[in-house]
Parts: sequence; structure tokens; C-alpha cells
Amino acid sequence: MRRKVSKRNVALYGLLCVLCVPFVFPTWWMVTSSMKPISEIFSESLLPSEWTFSTYSQVFRMQPFGQQYWNSLYIAVIVTVGTMAVAALAGYAFARIRFPGQNALFVVVLTGLLIPSEVTIVPLFQLFQSLGLTNTHWPLIIVPIFGAPCVLAIFIMRQFFIALPPELEEAARMDGLGRAGIFYRIALPLSRPALGAVAIFTFLHSWNLYLEPIVYLSTPDMFTLPQALTQFVDIYGGPMFNVQLAAATMTAVPILVVFVLAQRQFIEGLAHTGVKG
Amino acid sequence: MTFWTYRRRDNLVGYLFVAPALLGSLAFVLIPLGLVAWYSLNEWNVLGGTFEFIGGENYKQLLADEKLRESLVATAWFAAGLVVLNLSLALLLAVLLNQKLRGTTLFRTLFFSPVLVSLVAWTLVWQLMLQPDGSVNGLLSVLGVDGPNWLRGESTAMVSVIVVQVIKNVGLNMVLFLAALQGVPAPLYEAAKIDGAGAWRRFRSITIPLISPTILLTSIITIVGSLQVFAQIAVLTQGGPGTSTTVLIYYLYQQAFQFHHFGYGATISVLLFVIVAALTLVQWRMRRKWVLHEA
Amino acid sequence: MSRLIALICTALLALTACSGSAASGPKSLRMTVWTANEAHLKLLNDIATEYKASHPDVTEIKYDSIPADGYTTTLTTQIAGGNAPDLAWILEESAPDFVASGALAPIRSKVEKADELVPSATKLWEKDGELYAYPFSTSPFGLFVNTSLVKDVPETWTWDQAMAAAAASGKGLVLPDFKYQNWAVLSAIWRGWGANAWSEDGRSCGFSSKEMKDAMTFVHKAIFTDKAIPGPGTTVDFFAGDASMAVSQISRAGALKDAKFTWTLVPLPQGPKGDYAVIGQAGVGVLKRSKNADAAADFLGFLTNEANSAKLAQFFPPVRASLLNAETLAKSNPLIRPEQLQSVVIEGINKGVVKPSHQGQEELNQTIRAALDPLWKPDANVGQVLDGVCAKIKPLLERK
Repeated sequence: MRRKVSKRNVALYGLLCVLCVPFVFPTWWMVTSSMKPISEIFSESLLPSEWTFSTYSQVFRMQPFGQQYWNSLYIAVIVTVGTMAVAALAGYAFARIRFPGQNALFVVVLTGLLIPSEVTIVPLFQLFQSLGLTNTHWPLIIVPIFGAPCVLAIFIMRQFFIALPPELEEAARMDGLGRAGIFYRIALPLSRPALGAVAIFTFLHSWNLYLEPIVYLSTPDMFTLPQALTQFVDIYGGPMFNVQLAAATMTAVPILVVFVLAQRQFIEGLAHTGVKG
Repeated sequence: MTFWTYRRRDNLVGYLFVAPALLGSLAFVLIPLGLVAWYSLNEWNVLGGTFEFIGGENYKQLLADEKLRESLVATAWFAAGLVVLNLSLALLLAVLLNQKLRGTTLFRTLFFSPVLVSLVAWTLVWQLMLQPDGSVNGLLSVLGVDGPNWLRGESTAMVSVIVVQVIKNVGLNMVLFLAALQGVPAPLYEAAKIDGAGAWRRFRSITIPLISPTILLTSIITIVGSLQVFAQIAVLTQGGPGTSTTVLIYYLYQQAFQFHHFGYGATISVLLFVIVAALTLVQWRMRRKWVLHEA
Repeated sequence: MSRLIALICTALLALTACSGSAASGPKSLRMTVWTANEAHLKLLNDIATEYKASHPDVTEIKYDSIPADGYTTTLTTQIAGGNAPDLAWILEESAPDFVASGALAPIRSKVEKADELVPSATKLWEKDGELYAYPFSTSPFGLFVNTSLVKDVPETWTWDQAMAAAAASGKGLVLPDFKYQNWAVLSAIWRGWGANAWSEDGRSCGFSSKEMKDAMTFVHKAIFTDKAIPGPGTTVDFFAGDASMAVSQISRAGALKDAKFTWTLVPLPQGPKGDYAVIGQAGVGVLKRSKNADAAADFLGFLTNEANSAKLAQFFPPVRASLLNAETLAKSNPLIRPEQLQSVVIEGINKGVVKPSHQGQEELNQTIRAALDPLWKPDANVGQVLDGVCAKIKPLLERK
């Protein structure tokens, strides 16, 4: 009996290891290739024949990369905090408060979930241009917090609050707490896992934003990371692959490290979004 | 009786709470969408600066556009391939990780990690790895397989784009499925075992129905997401070879931003919006048929 | 509701259009460029500083580097959003679109000694006798040969001989910008057969002509039978020494500064139709909708005057007859010998034909790229594929 179980386990481990390859290899390849001389990028070797780190200093020479890193980071943090606030408020109201026109308004908000950003980018660009806000970070902050990208967060928060047992709120109301008090003292603290999920989704979304920065931003010191990644080219516009990979490594590795350290809270927070579907 | 009854105050709080989201939707979603609809009724020459009302002309062109039809076919293949592969792989991984096995946390971390790598970095890396002398074919040759020129064959290009996208994002769905699986009460399985149900039977009759709400959620998000995949196509294939990977969102981008037909681009935007809305509506309607708690 | 939307829309459009009205007082100019190269930008900034010193009303001249990949797309998005730059570099392939649309302001009167500009180089940027952009870079295609790999380079070559030498060297000939996407680069070969992408008036397709079929059969054979040109998807860098020859623009010579091999530059080999030359171009124009169009045109005149053209010549081959002599060019191109400058650059610019371009170029580009894709397979039927290209682009060429 015992032997049979372990045989099954060996098979499972084998399967998991094979399945892992396409998930792990690209990251491995990205990190090691960033230290290869450019002539070796297309070779089959798993490790560089000689390690070079000059690509990393080149990244900072060719672009204001530190500044760009800061741009991406602070935008993502503000967007994350802002989205959590807007989504928690709206999600709670749509789930727990009854007010006239509620369903219609919810449908109105949900429209944003259905619109790819390419669809509305021209009118939005005109809007921000008329406000004199192009080549600033405002469009990358305001639109995600209040516009279409926020809708998924509202949806997640609503699904969470809907499943909250009503007894908790009843008791608080008996104690004389108003709506705002109930939300702030009771519901919000309970929603931490869902808020965590929202934070992760939102941070990644902002961190990955590609089309919008390209359209709105025009000077290198305003660029965000994904946009900067495509800028490592030689004089003739040919991409410098190893420098690109060094920059890509620097954008990916810190996030991965944070994830590995905090992964339990991370994944379990995320998991809460799906349970109540 | 004061005017501010609890109910009235509650209403007010409700409106105040949804106000930021609502005003945001109005300013950044609905009005821009209305403007796009308006553009679709005009011929807009960006370079010349002319903007001229032409009524339904753009929509007539839409019906006659052969490339649009090719693009719709590519979109259908892409979406179908992506959703099927993503959901089945996510479910498979979740089931594997749900086994009582040491070290599943490590594997969970590894499967999830691509989600965190920035999209542009991920696509750049795959673009290099998928070259004919790149490392994907290098790995295959170790197994004795002579790999094709992935991004330049019509079917392999489509497969590549789908696979690259699935590996990037399947971790999210996997985690959602894993949570759902852990929510299935163990006694149900025990009872079924005693009744003599095999593993597959238990999976079909207990697991699937019980996690159906999660399947609904993930399939909606994945289908809607599949119609918005842009940067990957732009970096990997630019819609080629031929027009085999020119999905609708990429065609829209070409028409509006590359060919400068903003009016026609807006018309395709309207079509895309209608398609996404219709798909979501159909899925939502169908949920009563197959999602357990909604019956 | 629809009236409301229309109202908002008109308001928005009015707002963005308003920004086109003239402004007085201190002016700042913005110019979009696709280079982010330090040396290029330093030279451009030096010229700007000099200009500002003599023009106190212009307080700032800023260069926006937009990545070459997607340059025109980003530029037109900015224009559509009402954020047009004052000046812009324009690729030769989008020249007809920009010139014909009326987006550019006329500049001939601002150009110093406009009469000495070489006619073959300004043709693309003219409409009804007026000049709409200054061709600041006119760069002929030549054949770079790695003489460490190919020892014997004759005075005049035919394509057959050159290709045979490339195949024999074992390392092959590359077209660095082609990448099996930018088909227009192939014009550097097919012009030798007398082939054209389309007729002079741009109305009829040239891909199904006999000349084109012969030329493309030659290219196809070189790739798949003789293995003289590396196949699709392979990355071979001539400038790193991985190829024996490269068909490329003369402005690329700078990449050979630190080359670890010996090399030479010769004119494009002869095709069945004899001598020919092909050039790639870039112009700089003033956007009509710029608030400071006059100041911008004035700066353009300064940027391209004789003295500054001579400075820019080290990166961008000039079109001024007075600068087009081996002696002047040699000062700024130390890597290339005077006789090479004479045969490749000067003669190239004088007799060259610019790479194909057409109104609606980007749509044509994508359509042709897609239609040519089936050609890049070993068993392709060249004639059939090329007829297919014409079938696809006919409606685009016939469009007004």
C-alpha cells in the first residue's frame, strides 16, 4: 500500500516538474541572458560563457532608468490606494445599501468592464490635452482610479460584501452606529482579503500599462518602465537585446522577490475573490 | 418625524458612496464611448485636419470589408483557443496542487510567477526565445524534435501567441480554482467513494458542479480579456504572417492609428464593444443552466 | 442624448482646434525626432542653443525622441489629440501622406539657397512647386563587404557575381532593415532589374511585371536554394562580423567604427538593367497647426542652412550641391574613403531613386507585407504570390 502511494507521488512530482518548465524557463533565460555578451543570446547555452554586468550600467546610461522606476512605482502605489478606496465604497453601497436606481447605476458602472482601452484612448487623449495634462502622470493616475480599470475592483468588492452575514451589521446598528460607521468600523476591516486581491490586481495592472504611457508621455524622464523597455536601441533603431533584458530583469525580479516573501497572504487574498463567484 | 429618516439618510450615503465610481464612469467611459460612436459617423482625416459627417458610410464599409472578416475569424480562433487552453490548464494545475503532497507551495509559486513579470518584458523574452535559432527550438532539439519557425508559420504563429498568453496568465485562474476546490466539503467525496464512484466520476459529478460559480467568473474574465490582447500581438507577430493573427483589437489599432482612418477605427470600436457586451450577456444568461447556485 | 454628445464633441474639437491660433510673446518649440542617440541630440541641441542666442523670443527648443518603431503612429496620435509638435522628422514612406494632406506648412522661402538642393532629393517633398519639408537626410544604399571574409572585390560587380561570392563565403549577405517585413528595402535589389512597386503616377501595380518576377525569383533563389541570404527569423549581424556583405544605407557606416574586421563600401552591384542607385530619405517639416508655425519655419531655415547642413552631414548625408563633393564629405565621414564617397554617396544622391512610397503608405505596407509572406517559404510559387500582391493592393492604388 505504502509503495503504491509513493509511486503515485513520484508520478505527480514528475508531471509537476515537466509542467513547470515553460513557467520558469523564460524568467531564468531572461536573467541569465542579460549577463551574456550579445553574440550569445541566440546560443543554446543555459549559462553565459563569460558573465558581463556592463549591460546593467548601460541601462542607466541610456535612459533615466532610476527616475523611470520611481515613476512606475509611485503611480502604481497611488493608483492602488485610490482604487481600493473607490472600489470599497462603491462595492459596499451596491452590495449592502438599498437606494432607488441602484441596479441601473450598477449596470452603468459595469459597462467599463467591457471596454478595451484602445477603444476610448482617442477621446480620452483629447480630454487630457484640452486640460493641458499630456506628458504628465495625471491621466495614468486618474483614469485607472475612477474609470474602466476600477470596475473589476468594484465587482470584486461587491461580491465580497454581498456574502457578508447581515447579523453583524444589525448588531452595530442597534448600538447606534450610522451607515458610514458600519462601513468603516465593521465591513471594511472584514474585507481585508478582498482588498488585498484588489490591491494585487490593481498594482499589476498599473505596473504593466503599455499603450497609455506611449500615447500620453513624450519625454524620457516621464516614461514608465514598460515604455522604457522598448527604448533600448542603437543609433539606427535596432534593439539592443541584452540591455533590454537587463532592464526587463530589473523590472521583474524585485516584484518576484516581494511575491515569494509574502506569497501566502498574496495568493490567499487573491483566492477569496473566486470563492463566492 | 424628522425629514432625515434612517432610510433617507441611507439613500444619501448610498449615492455618496457610489458617486466617485459613477462620475468616473461617466467621464472616462460613457462620454468617451459616446464620442467614439459619434466619430464612427464621420470621416476624420487626422493629418489634413478635416472632420466630415458621412452618416452610415463607415458601417457600409464594415459590411463589405474582407479584411474585417478575416480578422473576425482570427479573433474567434484566438479567443476559443485561449479560453479552452487557459481554463483546462488552470483546472488541471489546481487539481494537481490540491493533492496531499509536500512542496505544493513551491510549485504554486512557480506556476504563479509569470503573472508578476511585466507584460512587455515577458513578450520580449518569448519573442527572442521563439526565433528559429532561439532557445525554444534549442530545448526541442535536445528531445530530438526539429522545431519550426514559430512566428512565421500561419498556424504556429497563432499557437505561439495563445501559449505565450496562457502561460503568462493561467496562474490567476489556477489560484481561483484552487480556492474553489478547497471549498468543496471532503465528506461529499467520502460518500461518493463508498457508493463506488471512480475518480473521474467524482470529479464530474461533485467537483465540477460545486466549482461552477468559479468557472463562470473565470470564463467571463478570460473571454473578455482575450478580446483585449494587444501588446503581445504587436510585439510577437504584428498580426502576421499574412493576416493570420490580426485579431479585431489589432485591426482596430491598424486602421485608426497606423492607417489614420480614425472614423473607420471608431466604427470597429463600436463593433468590438457590441461583441464583448453580447458575449458577456449570453454567458450571464446561460449561467442558470449550468451554474449550481444560480438554478 | 445624441445632441448632448454632439455638443460635447464640438466643444472638445473646438478646444483642441483653438490651440492652433497664433500666440505672441515668448515661444517654445517642440520637434519630434526618432533618434535618442546622444551624439545626434547633442549636435541638434548645440544648433538650438546657437539659434536661441540670436532669437531671444524663442525661449525653448525641445526635441522629443519617439521610438523609431511606431514613430509615425505616435506622431499622428499626438496630432489627432490636438498636441501637434511644431516641427517633425518625417520618414520618406509617410512623405506622400503628410505632403498631400495639407498638414505641413510651405517652407521654400525659409530655406537658404533653396536652388542648390538636388532635384532628385526634393521631389518627394514637393507639391505644386512648393517645398513642404526639408530632406535633411538622404542616404543612398550601398554594399558593405567584409573583406576579411571576401578577399576579392572587383571594380564593378553584377548581382549574380556578388551573390555567388556571398554564398561561397559561407556567411551570406544580409539586408539589416528587411527582417522579412520591410519589403520596401528590397527595392535596393529589384531596381537593378528595372522593377517598380507601382507606376510613376502610383495608379498601377508593378509587382506582377516580368522585371519584378525575375528580380524576386533571384532573391528567392538566393535565400532558399543558394543559401546566400540568411532565411526568415534568423538574426545575423553584419556589423558584428557575422555576415560577409550587407545592403544598407551609408549612414550605417558609423556602426563600423569599432569593427574587428576589415571592410569596404561599394555601389550596389549591377542588375540586368545596369547601373542604378536607391536612396532612403527623411525630411523635417513644420506642422501647419502649430501655434508658432512661423517661428518654427524660421528655425528650420536655420537648422538646414549651409553651415549647419555641413555639421549635420557627419550623420545625415546632405542634399546641397555645394556640400556634395568628396572633399567636404570626407571631413565628416572619416571612415569612408573619398572615392567611395564619390561613387556611392554623391553619385547615389544625384541619380538615385527614393524607396517606394505612396499615399496611404502604411496600409499598403501592411497589405503587401501580408501578401508577400507566402513568398518566404522554400516551395513558394513566385509568380503566383506576386500576382496575388497586385490583386490585394489594386483597390488601394486606385483609391483617390
